[in-house]
Amino acid sequence: MSREDDSCGHGSCGCGDDETADESFHPMGEEYEAEMREMLDDTEYDTELGMDMAEDSLRLIQGEISEAEFHEKYNEAVVEEFDVDDRPTVEAFEEMKAEEDENGGLFEKLTGDESIAEKLSNVDTEMNQSRRDTMKKMGAGAAALGLGGVASAQSSGDPKDDGYGAEPVGDTSEEGPQMGMVIDLERCDGCLECVTGCIEENQTSTGANWMYVLTYEDENSEQENFLVRPCQHCTNAPCEKVCPVRARHTRDKDGIVLTNYETCIGCRYCQVACPYGVNYFQWGEPDVPYEDLPGSENDFEELKQMPDDERNEHLTEDNDHIHDGRGQWSDMRPPQGVMGKCTYCPSRQDGHQGEEKVGTTACMEACDAAGMSAIHFGDMNDPESRPQQYLQQRAEQDFARDTELDNGEQWGETVTPWGKLSAWQLLEDLGTEPNVVYLGNQPGPDAEQIEGPVTYEQIGADDNRKEHLDQFTVGTGDD
Amino acid sequence: MSSRTPNSDDIVRPMQRTQKWYYVVFGLASLLALVWFGLWSIQLSRGLAVTNLADWGSAGGVTWGLYIGAFIWWVGIAHGGIILSAAVRLFGMKRYLPVARLAELLTIGALSMAGFYIMIHLGRPDRMAWSVIQSYPVTVHQSPLVWDVTVITMYMVMTLTYLGLTVRYDINRLRDDLPGYLEPVYKLATLGYSEREDEVIERIVWWLALGVIVMAPLLLHGGVIPWLFALLPSMPGWQGAIQGPQFLTIALTSAIAGVIILALVLRRAYDWYHILTDDIIRGLTLWLGLFGLLFIWLQLQQVITGVYAAPLDERAIAHAKISAPPYQFAIGVVILAMAYIFAQAVKPSVFSVRRSLAASVLMLAGTLTEKVLFVFEGLEYPTFDMYYNTPGHYFPSPIEIGSLVGTLALCTLFFLVILKVIPVIELHAIEELRGEGHAPAEGDD
Repeated sequence: MSREDDSCGHGSCGCGDDETADESFHPMGEEYEAEMREMLDDTEYDTELGMDMAEDSLRLIQGEISEAEFHEKYNEAVVEEFDVDDRPTVEAFEEMKAEEDENGGLFEKLTGDESIAEKLSNVDTEMNQSRRDTMKKMGAGAAALGLGGVASAQSSGDPKDDGYGAEPVGDTSEEGPQMGMVIDLERCDGCLECVTGCIEENQTSTGANWMYVLTYEDENSEQENFLVRPCQHCTNAPCEKVCPVRARHTRDKDGIVLTNYETCIGCRYCQVACPYGVNYFQWGEPDVPYEDLPGSENDFEELKQMPDDERNEHLTEDNDHIHDGRGQWSDMRPPQGVMGKCTYCPSRQDGHQGEEKVGTTACMEACDAAGMSAIHFGDMNDPESRPQQYLQQRAEQDFARDTELDNGEQWGETVTPWGKLSAWQLLEDLGTEPNVVYLGNQPGPDAEQIEGPVTYEQIGADDNRKEHLDQFTVGTGDD
Repeated sequence: MSSRTPNSDDIVRPMQRTQKWYYVVFGLASLLALVWFGLWSIQLSRGLAVTNLADWGSAGGVTWGLYIGAFIWWVGIAHGGIILSAAVRLFGMKRYLPVARLAELLTIGALSMAGFYIMIHLGRPDRMAWSVIQSYPVTVHQSPLVWDVTVITMYMVMTLTYLGLTVRYDINRLRDDLPGYLEPVYKLATLGYSEREDEVIERIVWWLALGVIVMAPLLLHGGVIPWLFALLPSMPGWQGAIQGPQFLTIALTSAIAGVIILALVLRRAYDWYHILTDDIIRGLTLWLGLFGLLFIWLQLQQVITGVYAAPLDERAIAHAKISAPPYQFAIGVVILAMAYIFAQAVKPSVFSVRRSLAASVLMLAGTLTEKVLFVFEGLEYPTFDMYYNTPGHYFPSPIEIGSLVGTLALCTLFFLVILKVIPVIELHAIEELRGEGHAPAEGDD
């Protein structure tokens, strides 16, 4: 503000960045640009290249040039300077596009849709996507310009990248992996093997059934229906949004929603905000002591200090089951006073249980072992993943079975296998963007839970935790 | 009763002599507080399992209950208190100047209890400060609970500033009559005082009051506290735009009732009939009636829209609400109090301070019951209601009820201590009553 500027008529208006006087491409003005230049001069790398890239990255943000053009323009110079350029070039983009086209085939022509994943995972809206793109570009531009503040405010607010995600909520971009499930309720017979599998895997306390199966009847059908209910690992998770300490978060790597047991304060706001009722608080001392959990000897702080590779090697050697790849304690049952819920088995996903368990969850394994294969876990954004493949297979089956359509319709643009597939998401209209896709009947407004073919007592579990907890109440014990 | 002329000796009396009742009440309150700390230590070691709370959903219970309900109730009293005091200063309602500081002190006491309830409610209170501070830059953008902690802290600071500024005038002039052993405290409180600052402080306090009045509906009990609930689409008993106004009216109702009770107890204890006059009590009773009416009105709105043609989930909660005995009790006592207030307004001879005291106690019981019910019943009727254990039955456990007794005792102790430290009635009020006042603002109410 103290700066003298002849072109500026208003003495203290602070318009030092006035366009007429300032030739800088940089939004923060010439002075800042000069500072940056000095900083670059201090490095061993080419200052001019850095400045040119910074200028063009701003044009990229403005949308004046495309990402591909940007990458192409500097490919040679970057390789020359740094010996490597990992950024995709125009050719790479075109290659990718061509591959996508090939994969389409008959199915795509039938559905008239360009991407299976997009159609069914239903993860994001167009608007959201373009906003994310912009955010990403801004991040890239900011980083190139050395705008540390902008980049970090956007990524986490924490100087250290803690893998919590770029945006507070819904931080998994559509290109990145997003773990989820396809659950075929028509294949479920209510055996509760998944519930048992989950309890054994996670050693949860009595009544904390992270995986839960509801048997229900609807007014209009006599049929016994099932609803398999793990955590929905929502892209727009309300539990995460309300958490006052960021204990509940979406993991950057694969979009799994986890609880950091080290920072949770036990306010239970996540439980209140979740529309599905998937959270189970650790009201008292857990049934299984901490010492009995594999990996309990590993210290959270020490793990955090290790480089990624070393940490993961260490955790795999130890068969650690309670820390994930980031060294964060967020797997298996929570300690007293902390919130727990279905985790999608992060220590499996990170390879600590052995390579063969990567891409599996305890409930899916149990369901497969029982010969049901109703649960299909995997990356919902990957057309090759088990859930997406299963969806495609089911749609094709239905198509093959049902070549003659009712009321004389023809397969084609409006009548597609996808349309015929009764796929839905739980409480979709609440906008949580759940990552579990169900096949089969959807419970109506009058659906009522009834006792299933196999009861929770029979598998040694408890489905009324309140009754169980009442014995710990000091005083009357019951109301 | 008010034929005597008030003077400054009146307001320093609590600091000069200690009667028998003081020791009795102090002993009793300490005992109850100690019992509560004993109960709380059981909860701290065994976990929240000692309460009747449980998970909602397949587990069959409610995860928020009396602790959160009582938290809202205390915050309501606190916010109402500061609004009352601010209104007195801002609109020049000199008639109520004698209760202005009482209202401010009530805010500090009640806000402390609300803060304490957050600690009581948490599973890991030991992590509270560090976890919240560490993530604050991010969470403040998204978590209503963090907004909540922010505004509570902000109002604590504003109220303490308010009190800290206004008390300088009194201490400076009454110093000789104040207890000598607190000299260091008074020295600190009046640091750098000069009479020239009086006018400036009056202006600062006026602006602070303006801030409080403007922010009350936006950020206090008309905003952030109800947003904890109103923003959640999956709990139909909570969601909706009416919660803001509803919470605000409840806050004001509770706070005025609290001030009436405080005023009546203190005027009896210290023979302040000529300061905290019947006239003031009569006026406050009318205000209590006005806010009680608003409370009833907004309840009516919710019930009618809930039972007529609401979506199924909203209908379920509305029906459950009106058929719940605690709700009938809450609305019943408020209506009863309203009947008295209306009657005494029409026919002044119906007025008596005892009846006003009873009406205030009823109102506070009604608002507390409504708030606790609001919290747990909202959780008992979620949109996703097909778990057969969902309408879990909650009734506060003895430890939870103990927390109410404990916090009431602690708040009482707070007042017993503060009575011995600063004049709880402003010197300005005395000057005003003697006709020598130069209190700010023009006109009377």
